[in-house]
Amino acid sequence: MPKIETTESMFFGLLGKTMTDDQLELVFPRAKAELDGHDEQAHVIKIELNDTNRPDLWSSAGVARLLKTYESQDIPRYSFFSSSSKSQPSQERKLIVGENAKDIRPYSIGFAAKGCKVTEDILLSLIQSQEKLCWNFGRKRRSIAMGIYRSDLIKYPVHYDAVDPDKTSFVPLAMTESLTLRQICEKHPKGQEYGYIVKDKPLYPYLCDDAQDALSFPPVINSARIGAVEVGDENLFIELSGTGLNDLLLAASIMACDMADFGFEILPVEVVYPYETPYGRSFTVPYYFQAPQTCTLADIRRVLGESMSESVALQALRRMGIEATAEKGVITARCPEYRNDFLHAVDIVEDVMIGYGLGRFEPQMPGDFTIGRLTPAEEKSRKIKNILVGLGFQEMMFNYLGSKKEYISNMCIDGSNCVFISNPMSENYEVVRPSVIPSLLESEAASSQAVYPHLIFEVGKTVEKFDGNDSGTLTSNTLGMLKSDAVSGYNDISSIINTLLYFLKVDYTLQTLENDPRFIPGRCATIIDARGRKIGFFGEVHPQVLENWGIAVPTTAAQINVDSLVELDTK
Amino acid sequence: MEIDVKNLHPLEVKVLRHVDGSTVITADLIVSELGYKVGQCNQAFSWLEAKGMLAETGRHTGVFYELTEVGEAQQKSGTPSERIIALLKEKGPMTLPEIASALGIENADVGSTFGMLTKDNVCKMDEEKKACLTGKEPSSAITDHRALLDMAVKAEGRSLEESALGSLKDAMLRISKKRGAASSPFKVIERETVTYRLTELGLAAKQAVIDANMTGEELGPVTAQILSSGSWKTSSFRPYGVNAPVSKLIPGRLNPYGEYLQWVKDKLCSLGFEEFDGQLVETEFWNGDALFMPQFHSARDIHDVYYVKDPQHTKKIDEPWLSKVATTHENGGETGSRGWQYSFDHEFTRRQVMRSQGTVLSAHQLTHAKVPGKYFGVVRCFRYDQVDATHGADFYQTEGIVIGKDVNLKNLLGLLKMFATEIAGATEVKYVPGYFPFTEPSIEVHIKHPVLGWFELGGSGIFRPEVTKPLGIDEPVLAWGLGIDRMALMHLGINDIRDLFSPSIDSVRSRRG
Repeated sequence: MPKIETTESMFFGLLGKTMTDDQLELVFPRAKAELDGHDEQAHVIKIELNDTNRPDLWSSAGVARLLKTYESQDIPRYSFFSSSSKSQPSQERKLIVGENAKDIRPYSIGFAAKGCKVTEDILLSLIQSQEKLCWNFGRKRRSIAMGIYRSDLIKYPVHYDAVDPDKTSFVPLAMTESLTLRQICEKHPKGQEYGYIVKDKPLYPYLCDDAQDALSFPPVINSARIGAVEVGDENLFIELSGTGLNDLLLAASIMACDMADFGFEILPVEVVYPYETPYGRSFTVPYYFQAPQTCTLADIRRVLGESMSESVALQALRRMGIEATAEKGVITARCPEYRNDFLHAVDIVEDVMIGYGLGRFEPQMPGDFTIGRLTPAEEKSRKIKNILVGLGFQEMMFNYLGSKKEYISNMCIDGSNCVFISNPMSENYEVVRPSVIPSLLESEAASSQAVYPHLIFEVGKTVEKFDGNDSGTLTSNTLGMLKSDAVSGYNDISSIINTLLYFLKVDYTLQTLENDPRFIPGRCATIIDARGRKIGFFGEVHPQVLENWGIAVPTTAAQINVDSLVELDTK
Repeated sequence: MEIDVKNLHPLEVKVLRHVDGSTVITADLIVSELGYKVGQCNQAFSWLEAKGMLAETGRHTGVFYELTEVGEAQQKSGTPSERIIALLKEKGPMTLPEIASALGIENADVGSTFGMLTKDNVCKMDEEKKACLTGKEPSSAITDHRALLDMAVKAEGRSLEESALGSLKDAMLRISKKRGAASSPFKVIERETVTYRLTELGLAAKQAVIDANMTGEELGPVTAQILSSGSWKTSSFRPYGVNAPVSKLIPGRLNPYGEYLQWVKDKLCSLGFEEFDGQLVETEFWNGDALFMPQFHSARDIHDVYYVKDPQHTKKIDEPWLSKVATTHENGGETGSRGWQYSFDHEFTRRQVMRSQGTVLSAHQLTHAKVPGKYFGVVRCFRYDQVDATHGADFYQTEGIVIGKDVNLKNLLGLLKMFATEIAGATEVKYVPGYFPFTEPSIEVHIKHPVLGWFELGGSGIFRPEVTKPLGIDEPVLAWGLGIDRMALMHLGINDIRDLFSPSIDSVRSRRG
């Protein structure tokens, strides 16, 4: 979840008033935000944003805009947007995209801003927005990368293209020598961090002005000259490059609206492509591309359970900054410039809900009568647990991920039935357990100080490879039990199994379990039910296995498939 | 100080009743007058002393003569002297070897005993070199020896204190040995004698015992014999100190965390929810696609979900779910949505992962759910996290759904309120708008818990039509998840989430909850 920081002065300035922490906590939920902290010494407010689909709220300006509009119902107007029907004047400001960019990183857009001196607060805020938009929304710069430049130094038109990484060089930010794009990937810290995005492409993205002066190597690093914005600058150029045009346009709109809120005048830039884009070969940025979303009043009433009138619904939307009209029970909402999260009518319903005020809805219980019920496996498990607890067993609960050593090599098995994780966090959690017995042995190995006898069990899940389904794996409900004591042998565990299965009404026969290295040969058995299925096994754990675990007390163990027992109940 | 006579053992009671403030109390006294064994006596003394009812007044070392096995045999069947005299009296004169073989005594011992008897003039050798009696009465050496044996066999512990020997002291010195006493009738032992007196408290205790009519003869444990004989009808039972220390037992028990989860399940069942469960190995399809999370969603990264190595992909995703979900992602399909506007990856969707969220099972349930229906699961999930005190490699999530023709936001709030009071014991409930990719609207519920204070109990919402419609449900579906871990940790009195799955038998055995 994105978290942002803002100074009190900036946030309250944007909001038009100051508020106490208690007041903030009361209104933040309207923005799905939480007050994450307030450093009163540094005068910094920390905000956590919960809606990962609302990047416009990941800035102090965005949060302030929503809260302010909610109170005033005064929807802010941004007049600098172009659309398919109208282009704002862009004068000499052009961004020309080259043919080679198409297969490398196809889209670049930009706009300019002037008339507001960059303060420390504004600079930090811009950098923070850039970071959140590119990292959280832009998938760590893969789909969106953004650069902020000093437009005073730029000679329009700006050129975006893909170029030979070995023949293009400039001095990157935080360095003094000129490096080729390839060298930047290798040597510059940002190159090492983000270079992977373009590294294997034949050509690398490159942005420069008409005088061939470098702006940046997107999505990696700005130039040290045009790309070094400082406090005191007044004229800026913003460029975004990436893979999806809508996401880029939205990110540009969010930046432009925020900067307009800071006091900048936004100057549109015409972008010219040599290939087709969803909005033609040329369009002017900031660009309004969103479509209106409709929603019936009936839908709103049905979902919210509140018989609100048309005008109440429209007012609620207005509080949320959404301009809407109603006709014959159909509400048509205009998507704000800085949002693109209306996929379905229900998305309008939620804004109505928040705009109306969640606290105004009276909780009501659902009226339908339904019957509660446990799964048959849970019911069977509880029967098993009752009997085993009566026999003196302690129930254990274990994690289901473990190491190769625990589940395979300690058990003297080859592990061919085991399901492995392909991206384990560590080798300690690399295998899904195929059996409960290694978990029980882990317990035994960790418990030599506990008073004997040890009688422990677990009913839990195990996973093994399996041929009979699409997945090729099968999760089973499995009972495992273990007895460790100075004297503990086959007869002990056999009588426990006998007692358990007697009270579970399971008829069974035993056969010697052959070729199972986990047990002493001749002292282990397979349990076969009345239908002739193998439903479990038990025996004296092999001394080699005990030695592998570091266990020095005679140990017997058993495992029974609970799902098989459940099936026996169905005729 | 209050005296609880129930804390006095019968051995103590009898001692208290027997002595008074002026009695010089010794083990010998109690042994001889109350018939205690020395061990019982020592126990009674040490208990009374520990309670401050008895105080030591002095101790001195006494010399005791303890009957040996040889002495024991002599007492029973006669000393060698007595036996020789008796034999000669009966059979007349005999040679020494004849005596030896008749009595089964070594020749040498017969020789030395005969020598002593001759010296005391009780025996003599006749002309035929046979031993015979002189007719003189047995000497004092013989009678003293006998007297000592007879005294000793009656004495407590079969030992005689030196001071009690009187004129027989010299005789004792002759027939006893300090070391190597195996062939002598007595062994010399030095033993400490301690004297005690009753303290003020002891006197008070004596009075309390008398007041309570306790004799020390009250019945102890109820035995089958007491019951069958009916002897209890004529005696009383000794009252026990109810606070006496008890021994620690190790019972068979359910795991306390499991018991808590069981309680949650029972609670949900009682509220009309039916339990669901499923496979641990899931597919990207069910784990994310079916929940309308776009395939490029940031929570579907390699760093969030565990991938299965082999089989890497499931053979197929069942229809019609696959086609409907794919179309919904691409353009909204029949759901009225515009979809995510990208081209759905049919290979990625078959990729197998470890289930990362409980909502996956809610999605599965939709394909065969009853309407109206209420379902829940308490299910194990896996997330790619560094394991620490607040993150486990796998953990439980509690999730569920409510399907109904007319269910709405107000019902969702009602449901959350019910969970808050019934399951979490909340005193206050607060709802705030939330965000989940698969619900719209989405609500978080925060509660004020009597112990934990305000915290987020769970997330919920109404499933997006993009989730329900492709899976065959046209009715609204309320979806909810409860974070019960914090309450479980508090309930069990632990801070580290890893302890929920502790392998230590000791720690599980001793955990309360």
